[in-house]
Order: sequence, then C-alpha cells, then structure tokens
Amino acid sequence: MSVGKLQASKNGKSKTLADSGKRQAAYLFMVLPGVLFLLAFAYLPMPGIILAFKKYQMAVPTASSFFKNVFLNSLVTSEWNGLNNFTYLLKDAPMLIRNTVGYNLLFMVVGVVLQVGLAVLINEVRNRKTAKVYHTILFMPYFISWIVVMYALYAMIAANGFFNQINAMLGKNAVKFYSVKKYWPWIFLCANIWKYTGQGSIIYLATLTGFDEQLYEAGAIDGASKWQQFKYITLPQLMPVIVMLQILAVGRIFNGDFDMFYSLPNGSGTLRQVTSTIDTYVYDMLKKGNLRNSFGYAGAGAFFQSVVGFALILITNGIVRKHHPEMALF
Amino acid sequence: MTAVDVKKLKKAEKESARHSAARNQISRGANFWFNILLIVACILIIFPLWIIIISSITSESALTTYGYRLWPLEFSTNAYTYLFKDGSVILTAYRNTLIATVAGTVITIITVGLYAYALSRPDFKYKKFFTFFSFFTMLFSGGMVSYYNMARSVLGLKDTVWALFLPMSFSAYWVIIMRTFYKSSVPEAIIESARIDGCGEWRTLLQIVAPLALPGFATVALFSAIGVWNDFRNCLLLNDSAQYFNLQYTIYQTMNNLRFLKENASRMGGVNVANLPAETFRMAMAVVTVGPIILAYPFFQKYFVKGLTVGAVKG
Repeated sequence: MSVGKLQASKNGKSKTLADSGKRQAAYLFMVLPGVLFLLAFAYLPMPGIILAFKKYQMAVPTASSFFKNVFLNSLVTSEWNGLNNFTYLLKDAPMLIRNTVGYNLLFMVVGVVLQVGLAVLINEVRNRKTAKVYHTILFMPYFISWIVVMYALYAMIAANGFFNQINAMLGKNAVKFYSVKKYWPWIFLCANIWKYTGQGSIIYLATLTGFDEQLYEAGAIDGASKWQQFKYITLPQLMPVIVMLQILAVGRIFNGDFDMFYSLPNGSGTLRQVTSTIDTYVYDMLKKGNLRNSFGYAGAGAFFQSVVGFALILITNGIVRKHHPEMALF
Repeated sequence: MTAVDVKKLKKAEKESARHSAARNQISRGANFWFNILLIVACILIIFPLWIIIISSITSESALTTYGYRLWPLEFSTNAYTYLFKDGSVILTAYRNTLIATVAGTVITIITVGLYAYALSRPDFKYKKFFTFFSFFTMLFSGGMVSYYNMARSVLGLKDTVWALFLPMSFSAYWVIIMRTFYKSSVPEAIIESARIDGCGEWRTLLQIVAPLALPGFATVALFSAIGVWNDFRNCLLLNDSAQYFNLQYTIYQTMNNLRFLKENASRMGGVNVANLPAETFRMAMAVVTVGPIILAYPFFQKYFVKGLTVGAVKG
C-alpha cells in the first residue's frame, strides 16, 4: 500500500463519514431486491389474514372505491363476521386437528429416532467408501417430488400394482388400498420415512463427525462399550441440535406436508377421514371460490395455522430458553 | 524432503491414524449387521423408483395383463415415443419448467447473494432490522387464502410463467445459508485491504468476495433449481390454463385424467385410443420428470449436504 493512500484514508473525519454514508447506501441498495420479494410474497399477504373475521362478499370496485382491485376492495368492504367463520370450522375441526397434529407428532418422533439411528450407523460403518454410497442413495428421495412419489405409490398399491401381484401369487384377494382407510396412516408414515430419513440424518451426521475423538478414546479406555459411548457421549452432545430442530417442527405442527396429503390419496373421497389436514381443508374451501363465504372459512383455517403456529414456536422457544439457554433458537 | 518422502510420511500418518481408530471401532460382527441394515434400507429407497422405470418400458398389454412387475415381461418403448410426439402436453410443461428453473435460479443468486452480503457486513447500520425483516417471514405467514388472492389478482401472476418461479426466488432460509458462507469463507482482512486500496463496495463484492463464496452460490443455486423443478403448489394455486402448467402439475393432472390422453390422441391424429399406452405412458411421464434430478444429483450431492448442514447453524 502506498503512503499517499494511507494518508488519504486518514485525511480527516469528514472524508470517512462520507465514505461510510456511501457504503450504507450501497448496502441498502443491495438489500432492496430481497426486500421487494419479501414485501410481495410474504408481507403483502399478511394483512389478508383478517379474512378470518370477514363475511367475504365479492364487490366490484366503483369509481369512488379506494382500492381498484376486486379482491382488496371486497376484503375492505365485506362485513365483519365475528367468530362465525371459526364456529363453522369447528364442525370439522376435531378430525382435522387430530389428523394434522397426530401425523406431525408421529413423523417427529419416528423421524428423530430413525434419523439419529441412521447417522450413527453410517458413522460407524468401517469402510468409508461404502458408507458414502449408502449416504448418497438414502439422501436421494429428498429431491424427488411428492407427485413422482404418488406415481411410485400407485405402481405399488394399485389394483394391479406390485403388492397385489404378490398377493395374487400367494393366492390372496387383491387389496383395495385406495378405498380402505386403515392402511393410510401407515402409508403416510412409510412415505414420510422414505422421503426424509436420509435428509434428516445429514445434520446429525455432520454434528457427529465434528465431535472430539478423544472423548470416545477416553471412554473406550475406561471400558465403555459402543452402546455406552452412544448413550453417554454421543446423545448428550447431539441434544442441542435435536432440540433446535424440534422447536422448528413444533412451529409447523398445524401445517402438514400439503403436497403429500393432497397428492398421495389420488383424490379418493372415501379416505377423507384419514387424509384431510388443515392445509387440504383450506385448499378445498379456497377452491369453492367466492361462493357462500368460503374464502372466510378458508381464512379462518389459515389464521388458526399462522397464529397458533407462531404462538407455539414462541412458547416452545421460551420454555427451552428458560431451562437451557444455549439450546434456544432465538 | 523429496516427493517420495512426503508420500511415505503421509502414508505412515494415515496408517497410524487408522490404528488409533481401530481401537475404538465396532466389532466385525456388528459391522456386518450394520452393512446389512444399510443395504436393505438402500434397496427400499430404490425399489419404488425401479418399479416406475421398469413399468415405463413394458408394453401396455403386458402391464394390463400381468400388472406391475420387477422386470419387463414384454419390452417396449412405445410410451416414450408417444410422450415426445409433437404437440404433446409434456413438451409444453417441460419448456415451462426449464424456463422457470433457469430464471428462478438466476434471480435467486442475485437477490439472495446481495441481501446476504449486506447482512454479513459488520458495519451495516441496519443489519439487525433487515435480519429480522427476513427471519420473521420464517415464523409467520398470511396463510394460503390471502397468498392465493394477492398473488393472483393483486400481483397479477395468474396464468403466467412468472408464477412458476417468482414466488420461490427469495427465501429467508437461503439468506441465512449464504450469510454463513460469506462469513466463513471470506476473511475480513481481504475485504478490509480491498477497501483501503480504494475498491468500492460493489467491486469488492463482485471481484473479491463472490469468487471466494462460489461454493455458497452453487449451494443456493442448486436448492433453488430443485425447488422450482419440483414445485407443485404454486402451479396448482396460481395457474389455471394448460399452456402455463409445469411438469409436476401436468403429471399430477394426468394421473386421474384419462380424458387428457384421449384429447392428446386425437391431436396426434388417427391413433386408436384403445391401443394407447395409458399406464405405461403415465409411468414414462414420471420417469422424464424425475430423470434429470436423479442423474444430476450425485454430482452435486456435496453442495446439498453443505447447504443443509450450514443452514442448521444458528442464525
């Protein structure tokens, strides 16, 4: 660096202030495109949440209306409907909440056990090269869309699908999977495990490999078996990551995996009792369009998801922060 | 030290590392069972995809008569021939998906790259505000109904190719990933010295920071590309006419919709609907939808792994 430049940079306070002002302007310019995207797709829909308390009535804007857009105008001019939309929602609520929360809890519990288990398995396998191959294969389903999974499922459980071929070989009657409710919780569970176990294990695996090897060696010298090492060394160290991921999962407990619940049952109406979640309910309501205030009912479902989900994440995080501040998300 | 010496030394180091590790490895028996377990898991992962691929290259009559099997009883590529006939809906869907994937990825790199860079700078005065501004969207949303109406009518995305990528072009999650990449792969001293040499913020970012953070850009770009390629919900919500459908939504519709095939058949001209490869045709659609991903994925796996582990670091 030349002496002249060094002197120039030390050349009085006004110069650095101007520099800093320019820099701040540059930074602000950099966040601008992102801010526009967030405003358009995340913040703009937020006020629309008042739909939950409106009796939605389509109102074409006139010359005197403030909003020239049909939806915005209708949103503003529609009457308030108190809690009536929620009362309507209550009719189906027990079934919807049971399905949404039930499936999510099931996926969370089974998911953690299998993902941590898989991470440990891959970490312990002696041949590192084969371990890598296993990992590549097991991670793959994460990148396959639910729609393709829907096709794969169809190929397996359709009337002439693979399972029924086996059934036929064994001399049994074909099973009609698409019209019998009792199979579906298991199908969803299997599909969820298939798609997310490999992906979920990655975070645990990365954390595992970062652990201090000396701890394990000390443990081994003291005579700890592999299982004891897992229980007393691995698991406690993994805990912060597990807790953090579960906080996020709790926040989404009323938001099912829409694509999965919507696509896998293949539009079978008889399965509705076990395949409807709040998400699919909101979508079904939405599709009824402007008729009979269905936007209002759908809005009530969406409000419930957003607000209760938000509250849940704050509460869980608060509880975790109180007891283990280092594990809290924020 | 000669090259040979270095090689020997490295080998010795490796050997000793292996020995010290050997003391604390699982037993041979356990290793055997762990491998068996993992192999079974891998077979279960591949199996459903295998069935799709095999049935897509089976002749329609064999599939109707014998059902879905592990091996094609009668080999046929008819389904693929029909798939790529001129005017086929799948070609339109492929085109839309490709446009959306490329455009979406480019926009993501630019917007996320810039936003995350500003947040990674310690001297950005409004860092806290803009961090919160993006993080908040991960916690709270306006819900599907409001989004549906705003995007369709207020933003005017209904029945456009834009609908297939714009809503997915920016995400707070990627901002966190990218910011971590900047912080960990670009030393503060380099930025500082560039500044003293009279380099402006934009030039620093483009010529000095960006090349260093290339793996970060690759990670975000790949996640974005996969997200757009696999998107189903935005197309379902925002697009109503077939000329703007993407792959996922098109094959979703085809699943229950034999009418679609018949319409397509008449457009192909003089094809007997009874001979149309209905089920194998569907499976071939699934194969061409998932094919590019399965083929490309192993090459990019390390970026995906990186993206997922980096994202887990507290923001």
